[in-house]
Amino acid sequence: MPPRPPRVPDLGVGIGLRVPHYRAILDERPPVDFFEIISENFMVRGGKPRHHLELFAERYRLVPHGVSLGIGGPEPPCREYLTELKKLVRRLAPPWVSDHFCWSGVPGMHLHELLPLPQTREVAALVAERARVVQDFLEVPLALENTSSYLEFSSNTLTEWQFVSEVADQADIGLLFDVNNVYVSATNHGFDPLTFISSIPVERIFQIHVAGHTNLGPVIIDTHRGAVVPEVWDLYAETIRRAGPISTLVEWDEEIPELPVVLSEAATARRIRDDAMSRIPAPLPLRSTSPP
Amino acid sequence: MASLLVRDRALPQDPRVVEAALAAVRDSGGLSPVERLEIYREQYWLRHTASLLEDFPGLSGLLGQRDWERLVEGYLGVVRSPSWTLRDLGYRLPEHVERAEWLPHRELARDMARYEWAIIEVFDAADAPPLDPAKLAAVPPDAWENARLELVPALALLAVEYPVAELRASLRERPGSGVALPARRRECLVIHRDAELSVTRRVVAPGAFALLVALADGYRLGEACERAVEREPDLASEIETKVGEWFTEFGSLGWVANVDVGSRLGEDV
Repeated sequence: MPPRPPRVPDLGVGIGLRVPHYRAILDERPPVDFFEIISENFMVRGGKPRHHLELFAERYRLVPHGVSLGIGGPEPPCREYLTELKKLVRRLAPPWVSDHFCWSGVPGMHLHELLPLPQTREVAALVAERARVVQDFLEVPLALENTSSYLEFSSNTLTEWQFVSEVADQADIGLLFDVNNVYVSATNHGFDPLTFISSIPVERIFQIHVAGHTNLGPVIIDTHRGAVVPEVWDLYAETIRRAGPISTLVEWDEEIPELPVVLSEAATARRIRDDAMSRIPAPLPLRSTSPP
Repeated sequence: MASLLVRDRALPQDPRVVEAALAAVRDSGGLSPVERLEIYREQYWLRHTASLLEDFPGLSGLLGQRDWERLVEGYLGVVRSPSWTLRDLGYRLPEHVERAEWLPHRELARDMARYEWAIIEVFDAADAPPLDPAKLAAVPPDAWENARLELVPALALLAVEYPVAELRASLRERPGSGVALPARRRECLVIHRDAELSVTRRVVAPGAFALLVALADGYRLGEACERAVEREPDLASEIETKVGEWFTEFGSLGWVANVDVGSRLGEDV
């Protein structure tokens, strides 16, 4: 088993903090190892979002996960955005902050979409440079997440796993490894998801995402709707076997069910994680150096 | 989401897009490059329309699905999302409604759009503790003339020609049930986030509203009264006689953040 990266802890298994669950969480205080929040929902001046942030931060570990950084866009990430994000980071003091390998707009227009990047060495170098700057500015470890995609660019010269690995190594950042996204993209583009898992620097994985999706036949859409499918759980187990214990988060964003349903998915993740951990071979005993 | 593959395809009808897609997108089997690009166009459309629908339930309910979709399609065709948060997406929708001459009940729709945008602004405006009414009462009488009242940030002032707040509540209670449209009735609304962090609205007298508008513009009390009378000349005597009562009310409702009488209240007043 590779060594754990020393700079981020294993937080256990968490779920995404979503508005329909606020009341139940505050009333029932379920044992959740951590909650992931959508950063932008709390980068506001006041009111209920800020109030709830304080309530939950007093009770649980919160980790911010953004959707608007646009690390690979035509322009560098917006300074105002980063300033607001830094305020949030300072309030929560999370072990890491995350966003996506993507671009999200053009000058003067935000598209609010996680758009795929051309996978070339030039783009990898650009993203790595920006990621390094962002991580330095925020003064907290940064992780970027592999996204689901529905197209690949003709200009790609790297596979996705080569691309994310190159950026992470160059920028010295972490990976938020979304196992469902690997499955979705592998199906949409016809590659083996196990190749992805076996090719990335697992010691850089700060966190794992699992989620449901919507299979439309010719294409799978990353909707975060429904339960995690068995194939994704299998890939998750394989990731844990390779990488060791890593903070894991269940996402559920469409047709959000009652809290117990999401907690049940988290319990499944915990069981699979524990089982996968038990199957990691123990380290070989050191060879004796004394003469026979 | 199931509609992704069955909605009318806009991109394949544009030869420039087809050409660009074929050049830029890898043909990796299954869906064509154009169909793959189309998924992103659909996602963009679904995400943006869902956001506007969530933020403007009164306007969408008032217009009905057909006119709402036409309005939103036109809006997204000319207005670009200005910031990293979808919360700001509707910032020019009131103006867009005003220009949409084809819209039935356009003035009513415009007022509804303005009202709903004000709710969005107030919902997450900056926090500011309201002034203790006791401190307001402690202001020396001779200091009021030059006092400057600072309203809390989570407050919006809106004069409308139709009772849109009531209509919105009805539309949300009974969506799609044929709520009767109201007759014209001018209202002066104060939209405010209360101590429970809920956004509420209150109809105030035109004179009180004119005074609040002047105070929000930064005028000292004496000047603000003059401005209010200029705005509502028929209400001059009411403004003069009720100003004290209104101030007490503004304070008790949590609308005032501070009174500047040359020094900070609570420090040496």
